[in-house]
Amino acid sequence: MAEETYPINIWINEERLEKLQAAGLASMTKEVLAGLKVIAVPNTADQRDKILKIFPVAKYDAATTRSIENMPRQIKDKIFDLIVKNKSLNVMDEFIKSVEK
Amino acid sequence: MEMIGHGGKEIIERVLAKDAALKRVEELKAAKVKTLDVRLQLATEILDIAYGFFSPLEGFMTKADVESVINNMTLADGKTVWSIPIVYDISSADLEKSGIKQYDEVLLTYTGNPFAIFDITDIFTLDTKEVAMKVYGTTEDKHPGVKRTYQYQDKFLGGKITLLNPPKINEPFTKFWLTPKQMRERFKEKGWEMIINHQTRNVPHTGHEWLMKGAYLGAYGSMMVDKPRGGILVNAMIGSKRPGDYIDEAIILCQEAQGKHGYFRDDIFLTTCTLWDMRYAGPKEAIFHACLRTNLGCTHHMFGRDHAGVGTYYDPYDAHRIFERLPKGSLNITPIFNLDWWFCPVCDEVTYMGLCGHKDKKASFSGTLIRSIIQDGVKPPRRIFRPEVFDMIMECAEKYGFGDAFVTEDYLKNRQPVFTIGPLK
Repeated sequence: MAEETYPINIWINEERLEKLQAAGLASMTKEVLAGLKVIAVPNTADQRDKILKIFPVAKYDAATTRSIENMPRQIKDKIFDLIVKNKSLNVMDEFIKSVEK
Repeated sequence: MEMIGHGGKEIIERVLAKDAALKRVEELKAAKVKTLDVRLQLATEILDIAYGFFSPLEGFMTKADVESVINNMTLADGKTVWSIPIVYDISSADLEKSGIKQYDEVLLTYTGNPFAIFDITDIFTLDTKEVAMKVYGTTEDKHPGVKRTYQYQDKFLGGKITLLNPPKINEPFTKFWLTPKQMRERFKEKGWEMIINHQTRNVPHTGHEWLMKGAYLGAYGSMMVDKPRGGILVNAMIGSKRPGDYIDEAIILCQEAQGKHGYFRDDIFLTTCTLWDMRYAGPKEAIFHACLRTNLGCTHHMFGRDHAGVGTYYDPYDAHRIFERLPKGSLNITPIFNLDWWFCPVCDEVTYMGLCGHKDKKASFSGTLIRSIIQDGVKPPRRIFRPEVFDMIMECAEKYGFGDAFVTEDYLKNRQPVFTIGPLK
């Protein structure tokens, strides 16, 4: 059984798609829901707990999506920018450090 | 017009006409009756009682009613199905300070204005842990209904309510708040013999739209199709909010947008609201919704997956199974049970779990997922979310949500209330 990754879903609009394409990262997206594109940013259980503590408005939806939801858009933008900068989805440690400062 | 509500009882509005109300307030003041100022939560339920949304309740429950509700799922008469306690709480200190005793007549005020008369027939205590366990199936205070139960003050007052001062329903809710009596008049005007209720606390995606369409087609059955003989009533629950919920204005206006933009014909679709703080009691709340919508005059009520549930406290179909426990004929409304609606990339359409054979390819679109997309400011494909509904969300965010379609601290602090109670004059 695959290990659970507690993702944060970053939905891709045209602006985000352009940034991904410019960085050669368009293949990171997957298509869900009638062609809508998303990047699922993985988190360990420990990272998930830290995120929920730092952003009390966020919640882990164990019932339906099994993802971390209610993250403010500006915060997701920061995570997205880190992905583009690092060309990797493994950005959560760096992101958590930056917001814990 | 027939005004028979839940439990086969006639719906009676417990509202005094203006002249009578003015006279009663003067009499109460002259008699120096005690007064209590109520908070929003209680004010909302006073309106629901007075206008018959909670019929046959005529007031806040006595201990006998609460005990019967939690143990037998009926009122104290042992026959009338009821699943959620409707209680008036007060702290021992406030009770002592007020000097209120059993059988007192009390003048209730809201935001300082005369509001209602409360004839107190019972003063009691409750074991809130027992109430939580028996109503919500858990004692964990992470459950919002349990949390609310634990937040009750330590004493409870039971007795009849009579409204003195009708509410002013503020925009944009004015045209959507109809009393049970007004609701039935509207159904009559529309010529509806069958009214299917859709319970909601969300803005609609196409999964909701198809849930309603499926229920409509199913319930229409063998009725003649020469003219619309039935319709869908969207009855949105407008009540206390938590950060991250859709703002109330977006819920009601987006529901209406489905009819305005032709996704439902105008003559088979009506959007209204009821003032109620969701308890997220899953199966127990499903029963409560059935009772409430019977009072609105509905003939059918749809129940989807995880109806009124929260987290993982209930099995997705507990809210269906609970109806099997009710004695035959105890509800005057027909439940319509639904499985999931999902998007199937093979069928290339929104389809029904009970029809689609591509379960392994399905793309579920829960409310949480759609919320996540909208929160990112991304416009979903129209097969998933109607563009006019999306545009309405954005409009509401600007107009009512201080730039956000979801509840923020700013919204909670500064929003216009859904209703106000003015001076009685």
